[in-house]
Amino acid sequence: MTAGEVVARIKKNLGAPWREATYRDTFKCGGPDTRVTGIATTAFASLDVIQRAVAAGLNMIIPHEVTFWNDRDDVGLVSADPLLFARKRAYLDAHNVVIFRTHDSMHDQRPDFTYVGSARELGLDARYETAPGSHRFTLPETTLGALATTLQRRIGARALRVVGDPAAKVSRVLLGVGYATPAANAADVDVVISGEQQEVDGILDSPEYVLDAATLGIPKGWIMLGHAVSEEAGMLEMTQWIKGFVPDVPVQLVKAGEPFWAP
Amino acid sequence: MTRVSRRDFVRLGASGAAAAPWVLTPAAIGGATVTAQDVVDRVRQAAGVEWNAATADGFKAGDPSTAVTGIVTTSLATIEVMRRAVTAGANLIVTAGPTFYSRGDSPMPSAGRGRGAASTAAPDPVFTSKNDFIRTHNLVVWRFSDHWRVRTPDPFARGLAEALDWARYLRTGDPLQLVVPAVTLEALASRVKSRLDARGGVRVVGRPQTRVRTVGLLPGTRTIQDTVAALPRVDAIVAGEIREWESSEYVRDVVNAGVGKGLILVGRSLSEDAGMKVCADWLRPMVPEAPVRWLPAGDPFWRPTA
Repeated sequence: MTAGEVVARIKKNLGAPWREATYRDTFKCGGPDTRVTGIATTAFASLDVIQRAVAAGLNMIIPHEVTFWNDRDDVGLVSADPLLFARKRAYLDAHNVVIFRTHDSMHDQRPDFTYVGSARELGLDARYETAPGSHRFTLPETTLGALATTLQRRIGARALRVVGDPAAKVSRVLLGVGYATPAANAADVDVVISGEQQEVDGILDSPEYVLDAATLGIPKGWIMLGHAVSEEAGMLEMTQWIKGFVPDVPVQLVKAGEPFWAP
Repeated sequence: MTRVSRRDFVRLGASGAAAAPWVLTPAAIGGATVTAQDVVDRVRQAAGVEWNAATADGFKAGDPSTAVTGIVTTSLATIEVMRRAVTAGANLIVTAGPTFYSRGDSPMPSAGRGRGAASTAAPDPVFTSKNDFIRTHNLVVWRFSDHWRVRTPDPFARGLAEALDWARYLRTGDPLQLVVPAVTLEALASRVKSRLDARGGVRVVGRPQTRVRTVGLLPGTRTIQDTVAALPRVDAIVAGEIREWESSEYVRDVVNAGVGKGLILVGRSLSEDAGMKVCADWLRPMVPEAPVRWLPAGDPFWRPTA
């Protein structure tokens, strides 16, 4: 089958209108006519992921995030890079790799698998969610420190970051994913758990807000898992979903994993 | 500035104004007074760059005609920093970061911002308390980041080099670079963590045993273009904040392809802490009427130690 047929089936099964104007959910390498030997889903189409996919006989990569290190995958921004760009490009061409990003469509889908996967990995059980798809969880009261420790043990993220008083008593958790992080100042939320958010000079700088809340004794917490850790879990659900309507070729999750370690 | 003296300073600030020998009232130095506006006028004169009103810099709280009793510079005007400033007898805060949690720095949350479905239009207690604290203590807050940042050489990068106790290894260049005795990426990351008094904010991309001799300094918030331009010229980059789908993925990709490089992220605020110490040293001779001190805001982040 061709990559174009895979994309057509994704659009057909999405259950949400396809954004025709999206610059994200497009081919980044190869095109609709490329013959597909197998599909690898991942958070980031790093060269390492691509090489592991090729070794497993999979030449179509479906990443949630970027290939060329910027949101538009604008190669003009990075083509002057002498370290890797040309090598990555040459590898993709030599191995007949086709890359199609599913970002906007994945977030338009219901349920949004990035939330489903993140909640599953974090152990945020559906019975605690205030309503299906609310992403708000009312947990048995705990402390921010105990919650962060539990989450870190579950997901094994080496470089998770927390702001707030570890002794703050918390219960109401709002889950975000990737960079679409809810602000920490909602009155009915104690803790925001998400992937990544600008630290300073955003619309609401949650780190500074939570620092001040802690100084005032107002229980607030901000737990950032990292972008890759936050969104890669849901690529498992994505893999299973694609398998359901692409039985013709193997479909596998090839994890990019957490990029960071901490000293 | 070593860790010890920095901690000593924090302790001094926390122990009260009476224990801080540098806290002088205006009368004690001959009765000369200076207003916050006077200080800002002198800074604008001395900045050496054309003043651009479209930047984030400017008064964020308080009355510019307030007589200044002392000046504190910081990377982030948190309530904690303000409390320490008040304890030290200072009433003008010069901050690199916002006061009210956004670039717009509106003293009240804008409609809809962070409001959950179940919340009402009740005032945000954090905004309210911060405004009250500023009013009660007659504080003036002035943001100075965009104009400070564009000075050459970058004072935030110089501050980072001094905080690492590596100013002697500083080389000019874009970005500013350190040429240091060979060190592993792991050892470099440990040094960054301890010298900056970091808690959980330091994150690293790269192989721990990668040998590092040249270090590029990229404090603040940086783009993929900054990283792509800098990485080929150095072994490792010490940066403030980047976007994770950009620079950290790029460095990870490069490292996994077998190229010996590293990226150490310390966070935006922590990366700018030391540059505001440089700012205090720069301001001091300009404002002889009032004591000028640096109060580090510190690392906002921690990490479970399990």
